[in-house]
Amino acid sequence: MIEVGTELPPLTVTFRREDLVRYAGASGDFNPIHWNDRMAAALGLPGVIAHGMLTMASAVRVVTDWLDDPADLVEYGVRFTKPVVVPDDDKGASVTFSAKVDKVGDGLAEIDITAVAGEEKVLGRARAVVRVR
Amino acid sequence: MTIDATMVGRSYAAAESYQVGREKIREFADAIGDSNPAYRGDDAIAPPTFAFVLGSRALEQLLNDAELGLRLDRIVHGAQKFSYTRPIKAGDDIAATATITTVRKAGDVEVIMYETALTTVDGEPIATSTSTISHNRADA
Repeated sequence: MIEVGTELPPLTVTFRREDLVRYAGASGDFNPIHWNDRMAAALGLPGVIAHGMLTMASAVRVVTDWLDDPADLVEYGVRFTKPVVVPDDDKGASVTFSAKVDKVGDGLAEIDITAVAGEEKVLGRARAVVRVR
Repeated sequence: MTIDATMVGRSYAAAESYQVGREKIREFADAIGDSNPAYRGDDAIAPPTFAFVLGSRALEQLLNDAELGLRLDRIVHGAQKFSYTRPIKAGDDIAATATITTVRKAGDVEVIMYETALTTVDGEPIATSTSTISHNRADA
C-alpha cells in the first residue's frame, strides 16, 4: 500500500569524467562545459559539470527502480539548482538521491525527490507523478 | 542578432523524424547506468529522460536560427519537465517540434523557456518536454 510518507529506497551514483563522455556520446549533447575545463571556466563555472540531464536521469531511477513498471511514470520535472562539478580524478562526484511520497489520490502518487552532492542540494522541486494500482 | 520577447511563439520542427531503435535505447540506458530490464530487448521502452534526446533535433533548429544568435557553449540548462502520454518504445518514429514560450533578460543573461511536443509521425501524442535554459551573451 502506497501512502503519504512512504520512503523509496535511496540511491548513490558516482559521476566520473568518463561517465560524462559516455553520456555526451549516447545523448548527442557535446556541450564542451561537460568535458573541457577551459570552456567551463570561460563560462564562469567552477569546473567541468555533469550534464543536468544525466543527474535528472539518475534521480528518477529512485522512482523507476521502485515501480513494477517504469511506464507508470506520467510526469517528471526538476530544477538544476547547483552544478555537479566532476573533477578530473578517479573519485569523481557522488550524488545521493532519496524520495518520499507526499500526495496520493485519483490513482496517482506524487513523489518528492532530493539530490545531494557533498552538503548541497543539486536539484530543486524534483517531483515525479506515477500511476498507482 | 539577439533574442527577445517578440520571438515567443516561434516554432522549430526537427528536420527529420527520429527512428527509435532498441540498441540506441540500450546504449542510452547504459550511459545513465540504468540496468532496468524494461529498457532491454525487443519490447524495450526508453528511460524517461530519453525524451530529451528526441527533442534535441528540434532544439538544434532553434539554435540554428541566426536571428536568435544563441551559442550552445553559452547555454546552461536551468529546469526540465516531462509529461508522458505513453513511454517511447523501440520501433517508434518520432517527430519533434520546439516552441519558444518565454524570454526573459537580465543583463547579458537570457532565460528562455521552450516546449517540445513529441508525437509519432502519424500524430499520436507521446510526451511534452518543457525546458528552461540560460544563455550568457557576456564576452568570456
